[in-house]
Amino acid sequence: MASPENILDEGLVLDIEVEAALDPAEPDGVYRDSRQCAALALSSGTTNLLLSPPTPRPKKG
Amino acid sequence: MTATLLRQVEGAALGWLSRNRDRFALGTDALTSDGSVNATWKPLGELAQVCSSLRVYIPRSDPLHARVRDLLAFAWRETEQGELLVRLQRAEPFATYPLEVYAAFASAGLRHHGFEEAAAALSRTRGRQLTEQDPTRRLGVVMAQRHSGFGRHDERLDERLDEIVRRTWLGGLPEPWTFERSAGYALTHVVFHLTDWGRGGPGLPSDLAAYLATWLPAWLTTCLEAGMWDLGCELLAVAASLPGPPEEAVPVRDAWAAIADARLDSGALPEEAGAGEADAEDPGDASPFARCYHSTLMAAFAAGLTAGQGGSR
Amino acid sequence: MKQSGTTALLQGAVQDLASRVASALPGGGHAPPADTSAGGGPRGDLELAAARLLGADLVLPSVLQRTAPAEDLLALLRRTLDAFPPRPRAAPTVLWSHWGMRRALRLVDVSAPGPDESRAQPGVDWIADAPWPLLTHQLAVLAPLALPATLPAEDCAVARVARERTLDVSRGFVRAIRRRDWQQAAGAGRWLAVSEHVPATLGLDAGLDFVELMGGADPRVYLQVRAARLLRARAFV
Repeated sequence: MASPENILDEGLVLDIEVEAALDPAEPDGVYRDSRQCAALALSSGTTNLLLSPPTPRPKKG
Repeated sequence: MTATLLRQVEGAALGWLSRNRDRFALGTDALTSDGSVNATWKPLGELAQVCSSLRVYIPRSDPLHARVRDLLAFAWRETEQGELLVRLQRAEPFATYPLEVYAAFASAGLRHHGFEEAAAALSRTRGRQLTEQDPTRRLGVVMAQRHSGFGRHDERLDERLDEIVRRTWLGGLPEPWTFERSAGYALTHVVFHLTDWGRGGPGLPSDLAAYLATWLPAWLTTCLEAGMWDLGCELLAVAASLPGPPEEAVPVRDAWAAIADARLDSGALPEEAGAGEADAEDPGDASPFARCYHSTLMAAFAAGLTAGQGGSR
Repeated sequence: MKQSGTTALLQGAVQDLASRVASALPGGGHAPPADTSAGGGPRGDLELAAARLLGADLVLPSVLQRTAPAEDLLALLRRTLDAFPPRPRAAPTVLWSHWGMRRALRLVDVSAPGPDESRAQPGVDWIADAPWPLLTHQLAVLAPLALPATLPAEDCAVARVARERTLDVSRGFVRAIRRRDWQQAAGAGRWLAVSEHVPATLGLDAGLDFVELMGGADPRVYLQVRAARLLRARAFV
């Protein structure tokens, strides 16, 4: 059963949550770019631009 | 304050490149059929291109000018004054990358007559016109032909360039929020090709320049927030290539502070945050040189262009 | 949704409320099913908290359509205003969202004239010259303040800043999408929907579609995108 103290605590916690949510920090950015399709790269190297992108390497793990 | 930062980044990058220039050496597999172009001609061509541009931007009186001049001379010697390019061209007559590498040298006045004659003949085939390439790459090839002494007197050059440019991501003025890594590298290259790597060139159509001025701040900021230093430097080079006074909205000072901060102790700039140190536990991991050379070249390039922008050199 | 400090319970309550409001917008719409695991509605203080977070948007359908809000929503708005008096040194977004609720009440409840001090607006120093990333983030938090400029209500200083810095907010919109921060993107999009001189190359309509596609499963995002489209189409009385 909720005691009067419990209810008061819950109300206070909620107030704090509301205050924080009204002035929120910006979430971290989520970055994901399209993966290169090595299989589609023609052997003449048409996707290998001179001076751009760094040669793609397989991701670890 | 930014001028000092630029100088630090530029100097450190060129210092690292000089100390590690032997890593750009072509080696024995530059001409073999199973050798990797990306590990040989690509880095060398990129070194030549950046140095060719910086030679214009750095005053002769500046000690860095000698560094750049020496690196360019080294790169040309690696090609045996163009002879290796001739052999490469004979080995792969239908590839365009030999011409693209050659053009970097030719734009600095380093030429091989035999190479140019052969390249001109090869470029006249229907097959060459029809080579399947992304429009951005095609633009680079057309500009390379121009630098290599042929295609220069094409009266329809501007028309041809415009037609190719309009087929690129940048040229279509897309929604800026469709930007991602691959679009970013494509757009930087359209600008580099049209501005001849910071040296002028045909220039940007005015609608493209306006479009870039509007959206570059958003792309640059988010690239740096994502720790994408290599692309960030390329975008900074684009910013420095835009006509008119530097756009206030481009966060140049913050950008250079972030770039300077991201450098390794060696003076190299890693491609991305978290990709810096060699992973001793993973022998399959690319060498520190391979992970840094491109971004360090771009740091030097962008710093040089930016420093030259305000006439502060 | 990564908000600092909000529990799942409060988030769920806000999303429920956002769903309800979105459904009442012109064009109805298929608001994503809200999490009704609480069953039978939230307890009183949770409902108030949720209403406080949704703010002026509680009665957005009525504001846009010049209709009277449902009695329970109107009562909820009044109770929420009373339950959360802003502390004088509260953050600007807290002060402004409260002001927005007071304005909303004035707009939909003619029987509540309200004292003049309820019209006093907080300051805008904190965003007037802020870098565009911060500007956009703060404006997005205050998206419920983004209403038609033609609305018969006093001009809002925050809206003035937003309209003066449309280019910067456009950049912020792009940045928010790049970061996959759909809530911010939707809020920024809503401000752009009531602004003039949005760069044509932005593709705002397609951008709103994109934000809905990627983030619209969250009813809060969905609500802002719906609102933005209505505002953009001048789909109000």
